[in-house]
Amino acid sequence: MKKNEPNWLVVLRTVMPLGLSYIPIGLACGVLLHAAGFNHLLTALISVLVFSGGAQFLIASMLTINAPMTTIILMMFFLELRYALLGSSLSRYLKGQPLPFIFAFAFSMNDENYAVNYLKFATDKHWKPTQALLVEHYSLLFWTVSNIIGSLIGSALTINLSVVDFALTALFIYMAVMQTKSRLTILVCALSGVLTIFFLVLMKSTLGLVVATLIASLTGYFIERHLLAHKPESHLLYKVHDPTSQTAMEESDK
Amino acid sequence: MQSVSSMTSMDHFWLIIFCAIVAFLPRFLPLLFFTKRQIPEWFNEWMRFVPVSLFTALVVKSVFVDSKYNIMTSGNLGLIISAILVGFVAYRTRSMTLSVVIGLGAVMIFVLVLHI
Repeated sequence: MKKNEPNWLVVLRTVMPLGLSYIPIGLACGVLLHAAGFNHLLTALISVLVFSGGAQFLIASMLTINAPMTTIILMMFFLELRYALLGSSLSRYLKGQPLPFIFAFAFSMNDENYAVNYLKFATDKHWKPTQALLVEHYSLLFWTVSNIIGSLIGSALTINLSVVDFALTALFIYMAVMQTKSRLTILVCALSGVLTIFFLVLMKSTLGLVVATLIASLTGYFIERHLLAHKPESHLLYKVHDPTSQTAMEESDK
Repeated sequence: MQSVSSMTSMDHFWLIIFCAIVAFLPRFLPLLFFTKRQIPEWFNEWMRFVPVSLFTALVVKSVFVDSKYNIMTSGNLGLIISAILVGFVAYRTRSMTLSVVIGLGAVMIFVLVLHI
């Protein structure tokens, strides 16, 4: 990093890989939201207010199957609950910040800019909370503009939606893989998959997803607690190999 | 999937507001709380399994369950192969963009060209 580079450029350089990767996903999301009946203004609004790829894709696909509003909001709650974890893990770097700052920071935090900021805070001791907030705002800008352009494309062209919809599936597969840290997680995934099919077919409602998630995650939690207490050398607790070893630092940090 | 929605733009507006609230609280409250005190251990440990369970559930739903909540027994081979491919790409590259772009490419080939 050059010494006399202005702050906005330093931060933009940090956020650039993330910003570029938002473009194809944001475009796909805009196309889907348009197909779900959102106008361009609403697409812009949701991109700013909800600012979460997974959540926006989910809203779009649930609207197209005419899911009731309460179900969508409940699903949203469980989907967004994971941010509790992200927030709590960043909190130690934001100690002593005033309430308006915490408010603004929480408002625009999502999976991806969290990852960028966590890495910066962990590796660069000069990284400041205000710079972290700027990272969030840059990524918000990339995301919102891509969504609006996607919405405009969606209104101009006819696009096969079942293909674009797979962008959501791919995004969730990616996030699941990134979160798989131990062999036990793979077991929890398998359990969650079986339970999902069972409860969806049984309940004929997306609530089946919520039930499957709760049972699978609690089972994982109790198995881990039991193993740590009684069989700490169990194979299930082995770490999953990371071919790029990018997350190695994050691990040792726990 | 076609665009049939019975909701008006006003409904959509309120949906966005509620979703924004539901999205904001889990980001804000823990951050507010834990900049002042310690995170309870059990919560942290349980939360480690919530996202991964939910993501798997959503993937399994879109690949194996149709919109009438029946198990898909045919016509989803292309989706299954694409999903496995995406998992492999995500594992090897850890790149969100590559995972999504290769996934979309695979689905286009399998579903639109090969019709499996």
